[in-house]
Amino acid sequence: MSSVKRIGLPVVGQDGPDDAPDCRGADGRRHWRSLEEWSEGAAAAKAEFPRGAAFLPEALTRRGFLQMLGASAALAGVAACRPPRQEIHAYVRHPEQALFPGNPVPYATALARHGHAVGLLVTTVDGRPIKVEGNPDHPESLGASGRLEQATILDLYDPRRIEGFTARKQPKAYRTLLRELATVAATHEKDGGARLRFLTGATGSPLLLDLRRRISERFPRARFHAYESLTEEATADGARLAFGRALDTRLHLDGARIVLALDADFLSDGPSALRLAREFAAHRTPGPDMSRLYVAEAHLSTTGAAADHRFRMKPSEVLGFARQVAAALASSQGLGDLARIAGDAKPTREASAVAEDLARHRGASLVIAGPRQPAAVHAIAHAMNAALGNAGKTVDYAAPPTEEPAGPRQLAALAKDLAAGAVETLVITAWNPVYTAPADVDLEALLTKVPDVLYLAYRPDETSARATWVIGESHPFETWGDARAHDGTVSIVQPLVQPLLESISEVELLAAFLGEAEKGAYQLVQDFWRARSGAGAAFAARWGTWLAKGVVEGTAAKGEAPTVRFADVAGAAGQPPPKAEGLEASFVVDKLDDGRFAENAWLLELPDPITTISWDNAAMVSPRTAQELGVETGTRVELRLRGRKVDAPVFVAPGHADGVVTLPLGWGREAAGPTATNVGFDAGALRGSQAAWIEPGLALAPFGKRKHKLVQTQEHFSMEGRDLALSFDARAWEEEGPKRLEHLRGAVNAMYSPFGYDKQAFKWGMGIDLAKCTGCNGCVVACQAENNIAVVGKAQVARSREMHWLRVDRYFSGPPENPEVVSQPLMCVHCEAAPCEYVCPVNATVHSDEGLNEMVYNRCVGTRYCSNNCPYKVRRFNFLEYQKGKAPLEKLRMNPDVTVRYRGVMEKCTYCVQRIERARIAVRASGQNKIPDGELQTACQQACPSQAIVFGNLADPESRVSKMHQDERRYDLLHFLGTRPRTAYLVRIRNPNPALSA
Amino acid sequence: MSVDTKRHAAVVNRVDPLEPVPVLVGRPDDRELNQTLFAPVWAKTRKGWLVLFALALALTGLLFTAIGYTFAVGIGAWGNNIPVAWAYGIVNFVWWIGIGHAGTLISAILLLFQQKWRTSINRFAEAMTLFAVIQALLFPLIHLGRPWFAFWLFPYPSTLGVWPNFKSPLLWDVFAVSTYFTASLLFWYVGLLPDLAALRDSSKSHAKRVVYGIFSLGWRGSARHWRHYRIAYLLLAGLCTPLVLSVHTIVSFDFAVSQLPGWHTTIFPPYFVAGAIFSGFAMVLTLIIPARKAFGFEHVITEKHLENMAKVLLATGLMVAYGYLSEHFIAWYSGNKYEQFVFWNRANGPYAPVYLLMLFCNVLVPQIFWSGRARRSIWVLWIASILVNVGMWCERFVIIVTSLHRDFLPSSWAIFKPTVVDWSILIGTIGFFGLLFLLFLRFVPSVSASEVKELRRELEHEAAPPHPVERAAR
Repeated sequence: MSSVKRIGLPVVGQDGPDDAPDCRGADGRRHWRSLEEWSEGAAAAKAEFPRGAAFLPEALTRRGFLQMLGASAALAGVAACRPPRQEIHAYVRHPEQALFPGNPVPYATALARHGHAVGLLVTTVDGRPIKVEGNPDHPESLGASGRLEQATILDLYDPRRIEGFTARKQPKAYRTLLRELATVAATHEKDGGARLRFLTGATGSPLLLDLRRRISERFPRARFHAYESLTEEATADGARLAFGRALDTRLHLDGARIVLALDADFLSDGPSALRLAREFAAHRTPGPDMSRLYVAEAHLSTTGAAADHRFRMKPSEVLGFARQVAAALASSQGLGDLARIAGDAKPTREASAVAEDLARHRGASLVIAGPRQPAAVHAIAHAMNAALGNAGKTVDYAAPPTEEPAGPRQLAALAKDLAAGAVETLVITAWNPVYTAPADVDLEALLTKVPDVLYLAYRPDETSARATWVIGESHPFETWGDARAHDGTVSIVQPLVQPLLESISEVELLAAFLGEAEKGAYQLVQDFWRARSGAGAAFAARWGTWLAKGVVEGTAAKGEAPTVRFADVAGAAGQPPPKAEGLEASFVVDKLDDGRFAENAWLLELPDPITTISWDNAAMVSPRTAQELGVETGTRVELRLRGRKVDAPVFVAPGHADGVVTLPLGWGREAAGPTATNVGFDAGALRGSQAAWIEPGLALAPFGKRKHKLVQTQEHFSMEGRDLALSFDARAWEEEGPKRLEHLRGAVNAMYSPFGYDKQAFKWGMGIDLAKCTGCNGCVVACQAENNIAVVGKAQVARSREMHWLRVDRYFSGPPENPEVVSQPLMCVHCEAAPCEYVCPVNATVHSDEGLNEMVYNRCVGTRYCSNNCPYKVRRFNFLEYQKGKAPLEKLRMNPDVTVRYRGVMEKCTYCVQRIERARIAVRASGQNKIPDGELQTACQQACPSQAIVFGNLADPESRVSKMHQDERRYDLLHFLGTRPRTAYLVRIRNPNPALSA
Repeated sequence: MSVDTKRHAAVVNRVDPLEPVPVLVGRPDDRELNQTLFAPVWAKTRKGWLVLFALALALTGLLFTAIGYTFAVGIGAWGNNIPVAWAYGIVNFVWWIGIGHAGTLISAILLLFQQKWRTSINRFAEAMTLFAVIQALLFPLIHLGRPWFAFWLFPYPSTLGVWPNFKSPLLWDVFAVSTYFTASLLFWYVGLLPDLAALRDSSKSHAKRVVYGIFSLGWRGSARHWRHYRIAYLLLAGLCTPLVLSVHTIVSFDFAVSQLPGWHTTIFPPYFVAGAIFSGFAMVLTLIIPARKAFGFEHVITEKHLENMAKVLLATGLMVAYGYLSEHFIAWYSGNKYEQFVFWNRANGPYAPVYLLMLFCNVLVPQIFWSGRARRSIWVLWIASILVNVGMWCERFVIIVTSLHRDFLPSSWAIFKPTVVDWSILIGTIGFFGLLFLLFLRFVPSVSASEVKELRRELEHEAAPPHPVERAAR
């Protein structure tokens, strides 16, 4: 273990004091590097690379310059990736493996967004983190990871990252910075911090909250303001309304058979999306415990696409619908508590059917309200869940880490102080508040009134341009800390690498205000947890387990089921909102989150799960509204809302509610890097602080003749009557479903007798269950990260040259107003009789004896004949040198096990052959010849939150993939061609309510 | 220089009722023929030629600039994408190869069938073939993603220990096209030998004599030379005859052997060969009509030749039309909805204008040649021949691009849009072809003098009263 430590070269950033006295190696001897060190101990050693050594000395002589030049040349080779200096613990595998060059070692850590953590395993090779996976032991990951988690690794190696620290335009060395921060802090001590303010993001981190508490003790009059543009104020208010106190709502879909989602995209958004997708998918196969999902929403979300019934309505109409369901529950299902809440609402046929279904499954149903909905909807949902007996079963409640939710309200309080000139020092650790602030809070102007704006920034952005101190922020994979999941489970965040560029974390910045920054984040987090769980020898062991496992056991908050104050809920929900004129503006979160992923090229290029738009966002309207307004896809329009205006392209979206314009947030950055500046439009510029998500009175006026080019990776959404992505209603499936698949599977006539594979230990294959796939696109990013897949840019995507090996095809059926959606992940299906293989003139694509269709990049001359002959069109060609011009930092991210393809070469899914070989080597080295089922996962499979993708050995009849291939829902894509694909699909089953489908 | 045809009017007194238009107007003697047919070689460079040459040179420059750019940045310089991984590159390849069919057909097959009218146009057609095949040969190289490894397509004992894939039609292409090029070159060159020797003998400068001397390979016109020459020429004709059929058959295999709807069709080999002859004759007409005018070859390349070629156009055009009909019929008859969609999409999809243009040029335009007046009208012929060339280019576009852009999975459907580089390469090859052709017209007799002389003697022999011995025998 201490040998890990020995690898660590003296580095910037995070030397913990605990490290200083101990210079012992693995052999227990004390090593020294110079006579001074030998004589003076570690103190001299620490000074060997003093802080600020990277900066030019002020008075530079010719001689000095030449000395530095020589030294730089001599030490140039030293610059490399370094594992962190402190002891970090690998997940499951022995850390000694980390010492073998080229060995990938997973480390558990956690990534928090908006105060909610997801546990991750980050694979590190030679000190470079290269791939993110979910931590199976973490309750909110369960081994899965989403597109944002996957894409985080790209940000780590962003060449636009801020290096070092600037205070009032002067570069500062680390120690100088800490000294000056301490001075700033000291000046506030005399008035108790009356002129000191902190603007932070939402956090659940116990350490950060403790630091805040201690800062508040030192500066009693200082204030912390938490702001998140994707605010959950309404959620918190709803709980307060229903229960009289702040409570987090925790959903459990495991026991829920009937789910009603009120404008809640719980499968792709929110702190528990990964877990909920897993739990949801577990009950989507035909059988007695198959669940039924009702969704009421305006724009077609991934959850709406997964629904059995989707009720299309304006976001403002959701409250009315909730009241109708409550009314139906009260009147015909005998839930009298809800009668007052429902008021005078008359249930429609839909609401009655939903209510009946919910009531039939008391204690096994669930009503979910989305964070965009007002507090009343949340309160009604709590009331219905309580009345249905769901509370404590499919939903429970626990105290949140902070009483007051982060959002515009807290920002407004700060803005008032700023406007009054009452703030001298503002410390911003929230992400880019100048960009994310509501349009009616002119933070940009307000910041000019503050003499000292300290901004912890990852990249130069809108806020850093206005900050007087710009402090480089470490990536979450570079820092020590802790993070809290939505259910309360705490993870210790351990760094995977020393900061690649000189930077500090939020923990260290806050510690500087306590004069403890010198301790370093490692010491701070360890001290905090030692204090919490008791010191002593046992702590070291516990600490090691926490790090290795990625979770601090026993920290999950206990759930409760408090009583609902029906009277209060009725008071708030009784009156329906007044009808408003004009269009309704509906702000939504998409793949860029609140904009913090706007510079992530993977996510920019990633097609939207429903519209497949890449490199853009658009104002989405329904086909009918588009017709009424005289606009079509690509028309540029001016959107006006309460005197604020923004220009945007229109996208006519199927399944969209009429009279609503959906505006995805996080785009249209002004001061981002070249990849993200002016990409899309900034919907946030229309957003007020009062109505953060839904606001009526939007005006839309087309202008200009020229259309905006919106590029889509899929332009045709109809299956043209072909048997491609199949779905059945549960009843139709019971009756005749399997029979209708007979012609889509089974043996095909072939001239040559097929290769037997009898003597092969392995015969690889895959199964994809369309019933489980929610179409979240997480697998696409996972594949991109694992396989070094190039990003090609908007112009190339417009030419249909995107490189994604794995794409999620989307097909609509039924009326365009409210279509049914089927998502079909498609990558190379590794045909047994592969059409690509026989047409390649140079044998560059060949079949392996384990059934893989292999692509030999070295041999490929690029005739592209294979792609022409591929019926699935899953092959991707390097039309240009897409991997050219990478900054040295970016190159570090590449997976060393996967060739980076040159231009002129064809590429495609390999079934993650590098992982197969790794697993084979590991198994052989341990003297076995069988890879246990489930041990080997492809990148897409590992990421998939709903476990729709299964990969494994078809030669083993007991493997999960073999069973999937035997499933009665199995069919082959384009079976009639006789290609005999190794990827089998399982048809999607819908479970519509017979009362509604009749 | 032109020949006074009236002087020989008296000689040609017998008009064959079946062949009212003669294949040789007048009975010029050998000296006159030498003078006329070698005139373009010996005469001073004409202004018109220079202008055309400059234009062709400029377009050739454009071609090689575009190719250089493609090599520098990659195939991304073209409009190709996934699913349309083949586009202009292969369209142009097939188009040029098709054009390259007429020469060998005229020279070899008509020689074997002893068609007299081939004589004065065969050299011309062969040269055209050769130059068209050179254009075509560019494409397999430049359309590669990594052209510097093009030699991997040849079966050579490589230290990599990897052979090419003999199952791939692209490999057959390599063999077929390179064989065709070699055979065509030899056939053309062997046929040139007597004329090169005649040029050597009539050279007025030492340098020219040396150059033509080297290329004439010591031809002295002895009986033994003629005998060997005859055998060699006939053998090459025999060798080239199957090649005419095989080359385009194999090119069609690139498509027919794949499983893409619109490509996977057994009618492709004959249909491609017919189309190739169709486009080849059209190109011969396009070139020969202005050339015979410019060089005053009307008496050797007569209306008879042009009319015969028009008839070939009509016949092959009908074959091509039958191909289209058959494709559509089979798509309907097969009941395969993927196949049916492809043909529906050709007529109704985004590339429908190209499809309609193809039908107009290839099916409607040749029908005008049912009329004898149209067959003998120079202008009608010339315009129709150009339209047929356009139509045949469209046909290849329709087959390749429209089949690819919407195949099995609607999720991967996309549109192909050509780039400036695509157009530059297409126009550039026309320029390069023209350049080679202009050089040919300037430095080599474009009508085979030796064969025309032979023809004249044959005709005189036929025209003369029968020999007394023969008469006695009757």
